[in-house]
Amino acid sequence: MAEYDIRTDSKFAVKPDEAVNALKGALLKDIRRSAYVYRVDCGGCNGCEIEIFAAITPIFDAERFGIKVVSSPRHADILVYTGAMTRAMRVPALRAYHAAPDPKICVAYGACGCSGGIFHDLYGVWGGADKILPIDLYIPGCPPTPPATVHGFAVALGLLQQKMKAVHHVQGETERSQLISPQVPLSLRIMIERAARRMAGYWHGKRIADDFLSMVDGGNLSALSESLHAYLQKRDDPRLAEIMTLLKEEYATHLEGG
Amino acid sequence: MVLKLLREVLKVGQATVPYPFVPVEVAPGFRGKPEYNPEQCIACAACTIACPPNALSMETDLENGVRTWSLFYGRCIFCARCEEVCPTGAIKLGADFELASFTRQDLTVQAEFRLAECQRCGAYFASAKELEHVLALLDQAWKGQQSLSEDDISARKALLRLCPECRRKVDLPRVKELVHTAWPAVEVLDGRI
Repeated sequence: MAEYDIRTDSKFAVKPDEAVNALKGALLKDIRRSAYVYRVDCGGCNGCEIEIFAAITPIFDAERFGIKVVSSPRHADILVYTGAMTRAMRVPALRAYHAAPDPKICVAYGACGCSGGIFHDLYGVWGGADKILPIDLYIPGCPPTPPATVHGFAVALGLLQQKMKAVHHVQGETERSQLISPQVPLSLRIMIERAARRMAGYWHGKRIADDFLSMVDGGNLSALSESLHAYLQKRDDPRLAEIMTLLKEEYATHLEGG
Repeated sequence: MVLKLLREVLKVGQATVPYPFVPVEVAPGFRGKPEYNPEQCIACAACTIACPPNALSMETDLENGVRTWSLFYGRCIFCARCEEVCPTGAIKLGADFELASFTRQDLTVQAEFRLAECQRCGAYFASAKELEHVLALLDQAWKGQQSLSEDDISARKALLRLCPECRRKVDLPRVKELVHTAWPAVEVLDGRI
């Protein structure tokens, strides 16, 4: 029986030596205005590729930072690993890594590249790119939008600062959760939420129900109609108007029937 | 020819957005970084069950009575299932998308919550905040109801502060009585019908 699991033990990841690490800092200074990027798709859905290409179109134009997508790892300064690390793509991913000249920057791109994403527990998936390679930057997203891609590369090249910080919260002594919309009776809130979610879907329904309940003012129907009218005029959405009208009807029945 | 092209270029103007030097506006309904509010969280684990890629997870330490909720942005697929199922609105997807990070550690959020002890046997059985939330919800639901007396309400609430095992044992006499009134012919012996 094996004493280790090569798939989950990151001690088998490639480790660059000290000299290369020292060179990396110099690299960032030197390539600031011309970073050549090579992408390796290790087994993703192609969503990340589409967003990378969207990021080099004229709208977002990553090339104004000197970022250029090249077609050979031998030209690359930055390697972008997208997709979950699959068993079949492990060796090609390593070959691309070793083919790129040192020093190089490795970027894990997308949820799958960072950690295996939604495919993390599949039988052929080894996890994120950091299972076998030394990763310098993580760009999460599913897929990262073109602005997120541009931001990620700007962070990699040292143009922008990283925004994320680890958070660790410990429950306070008097910490209590607040009830949502305590001004309306529980049965009414449940009824409105169910009706809105039935009509608009779970996510939008919740938001619509919250908006509706914030306008309910202790059984005053005419005041509700007025605030609904103002709300709907601002939105200008016939679907929302339909749902709100139906919710108001349900609310009126609730007021009559109790 | 060149002049014509130049005129065309000037007419079209600049297509490139000035991001990242100027913030970019996201579309309405954009699902960005999940913003977590630990004060509002009751550690009920609804989100960790809903989360398709297991970016949300929860560990319960029954020895020390601590439950740890954790979120790893590196695995999140921004589907908003957590926001849909959250009963207290503690997690909401915001408009922030600038998640790039040099380390895995910076992509994590963790929160520790205390567990409630059973009033009878002392075992940990649920998150303390969840229990308080349920009691507050019951207060809201029972407010102004005539069918329940004050004593009934306090008895039922005391029952909720017990672990499921003890709750069953303590509630037995009431069940016995209920069975007796419903079917007088049935005899209840030692909790067995």
